Amino acid sequence: MRDGGPDVEGGLGIAGPRELGDVRRFSHEAMATSFEVYAVHPDERYAAQAAQAAFELTDRLERELSRFVPNSDITRVNHLVAGEGARVGPSTMECLVIARHLFDLTGGAFDPSIGTGLASLELDADDFMVRATIDGVQIDLGAIGKGYAVDLMAELLEEWGLQHALVHGGFSSVLALEPPPGRDGWPLTLSDPGAPSRVLARLSVCQTALGASGVRKGDHIVDPRTGEPARGRKAAWVALPRPARAGAEASAEGPRMAAAAVTDALTTAMMLLSIEEIAALCERSPGLEAWVLPESVGGPPGEADLIYFGGRL
Amino acid sequence: MAGEDEKGKGKARAAGGGPPKLDRRDLLMGLSTVPALGLFGYAWNKQRQYQQARAEAATAPPVAPADLQEINVALIGAGAQGQVLTEAMLRIPGLRFRAVCDIWTEYNQKRVVNTLKRFKHEVNGYEDYREMLDKEKAIDAVMIATPDFWHAQHTIDCLKAGKHVYCEKEMSNTLEGARSMVLAARDTGKLLQIGHQRRSNPRYIHCYEKLLTEAKLLGRIVTVYGQWNRGVTPDLGAPDRYVIPETRLTQYGFKDMHQFRNWRWYKGKGGGPIVDLGSHQIDIYSWFLGANPSHVMASGGQLYYDPKTHEWYDTVMVVYDYDTPLGPAKAYYQTQTTNGSQGYFENFMGDQGTLLISESEVNNAGSLYRDPNAPAWDEWIQKGYVSAPQLQEVKEKSDTGAIADVRESVAPDRHTVPVALRDPYHQPHLQNFFDTVRGKAKLNCPPEVAYETAVAVLKVNEAIEAGFRLSFKAEDFKI
Repeated sequence: MRDGGPDVEGGLGIAGPRELGDVRRFSHEAMATSFEVYAVHPDERYAAQAAQAAFELTDRLERELSRFVPNSDITRVNHLVAGEGARVGPSTMECLVIARHLFDLTGGAFDPSIGTGLASLELDADDFMVRATIDGVQIDLGAIGKGYAVDLMAELLEEWGLQHALVHGGFSSVLALEPPPGRDGWPLTLSDPGAPSRVLARLSVCQTALGASGVRKGDHIVDPRTGEPARGRKAAWVALPRPARAGAEASAEGPRMAAAAVTDALTTAMMLLSIEEIAALCERSPGLEAWVLPESVGGPPGEADLIYFGGRL
Repeated sequence: MAGEDEKGKGKARAAGGGPPKLDRRDLLMGLSTVPALGLFGYAWNKQRQYQQARAEAATAPPVAPADLQEINVALIGAGAQGQVLTEAMLRIPGLRFRAVCDIWTEYNQKRVVNTLKRFKHEVNGYEDYREMLDKEKAIDAVMIATPDFWHAQHTIDCLKAGKHVYCEKEMSNTLEGARSMVLAARDTGKLLQIGHQRRSNPRYIHCYEKLLTEAKLLGRIVTVYGQWNRGVTPDLGAPDRYVIPETRLTQYGFKDMHQFRNWRWYKGKGGGPIVDLGSHQIDIYSWFLGANPSHVMASGGQLYYDPKTHEWYDTVMVVYDYDTPLGPAKAYYQTQTTNGSQGYFENFMGDQGTLLISESEVNNAGSLYRDPNAPAWDEWIQKGYVSAPQLQEVKEKSDTGAIADVRESVAPDRHTVPVALRDPYHQPHLQNFFDTVRGKAKLNCPPEVAYETAVAVLKVNEAIEAGFRLSFKAEDFKI
């Protein structure tokens, strides 16, 4: 419920909130970041109640998914020794199943266990059991949990009838639903994390998840495949259309197609994968788009060009 | 023994090798960095037993072993609290959900039924609990998480139908209701556990049994204060496509959807924040002090929210007097709903030490401070009852071999409670209930105990209205 202001953070922002006159905005702190709901609805009180219900959902997910909460599902999983198992809630299981899928898809470039052995956890989705086959697997869902929360918040808002909405967690994980009436999409910007005023791309999106990952000057991220710091990337963005079957519950066939969770996880991988690997991944994943900002070599800082992957151009 | 000849041993021992002799510095340096307290005693074993029991429970096959009698359960009230209980119960082996009852059939009932079906519990949904009791003869135990003003009737009818009952706190919104629940449990001989879940929390049990009762670390507790603060939130709403028809709302005692969703704020339905939140912690005051209050004075008001939709006090400040076995004590409690700063905790202050604890370890990990004139706690540290103190200064100067530079201004030693709860908050209390159903335990919060807390807590609203100090008689707490 704050007033508008510069909305660029972590290289992904909403362009020109002042132009979005009828959009209501609600904020909530969770998962060590700020979650926000932008929604168009005639009834302010009703919209606030819907946003509050979405925020309470986020708090619940944090209690289940955070490794910093001493009695969360993930803490229980992180204390398993070989041969032990823990029963987890449906959300935790689904998030782990999606994480495992993306771990396989990216050859371990996305790894919520940071090299401690994600593949050694057995996920029994039928019985909601997580079993450890080795000691010491440490899960941190920080790179996927925010996106997963954003997916579930969006489903809840739709249930409340707030279709014209955008949800984000710390601007690194954004999910645009139907655009404000009269517009063709939610205006988003991609900007240089080292120089936020340098807008690299302007997008107008709806029914799409967008994720961002980036490093500020002097920072680095560790490649879980090698344990070495990764260099050469300043930022990466991933976009994925939301599946038509939006709101579809997870079923026996598999987890819900959680677009924001997937993009959240993939941005981390895109910071590490080679240009060829990213191109190949986008090639075989219909609808997947990616933007990568390489570290500028030589030339003046902040001048490297954005590389785009996907079918848009 | 720790504590003797404290200076200059660290290096010599390290260089000399041989079997290490534990001195105070080792305790300070070593144990504080080994959270498992692997060397000695109670806490480690306790934690280990607890974790093993938990691990065994978790790895138990979905079909209960032959010696584990399967308990058929039903839930009445599938709202926020009913969902919390359901989540915790899904982690307890040997339970079979049979039915879920909620008048919000379109939303909450459907949600919980769907969750349970995903966990392979073939449950039936009901709007009317009487129909459920008529049709579901196999039910052994009923979990009640309905609004407070329904508790007495739901509980009594279930007990009379031959079911064991776990009923959420507050036991009832009236003392007459609470009293009738106690009597019904006695008449029927069925079990009734009230959901003051801290009573089964291993951290709180450790504090009570080991730190306060056995080790007497706080000496005589003279003052207590605690709080549950929450930030401003909008009233609870409902998706407009799932609004309950008015006739059904009226039938079940609600004047409209707003009251159905926000019953806690309405007189005749709930008791306001002092009952919703305060009850949990005031229950701990009496438990830890070993006494019920003798007097109460309170101030409260409708300071912030619309008084038409928030009939109870949004802000409450209370002072209780106690005559404890060790002497008189006073306890302060506040709950307010406009600023969530520092969340919730209870702080027990004795003449020999302080215990600051919260159900939420994220909120407050549980801290103990020893009065500098109190006897040393080394024995209790060695037994693993409390952690070694966390002393930043010592770590920084570790190569000098000294405990601390004498000129330093040193903050008081902070010890922590070395027992962690790894399960959902309500799970141990539910487990205690089901263990008792199986004849393997004793209820941690039988109705007589919860009644005493209801007497102490419901009196606060009375004291606010009266505007002066009210007294309790010993017989007020007895049935």
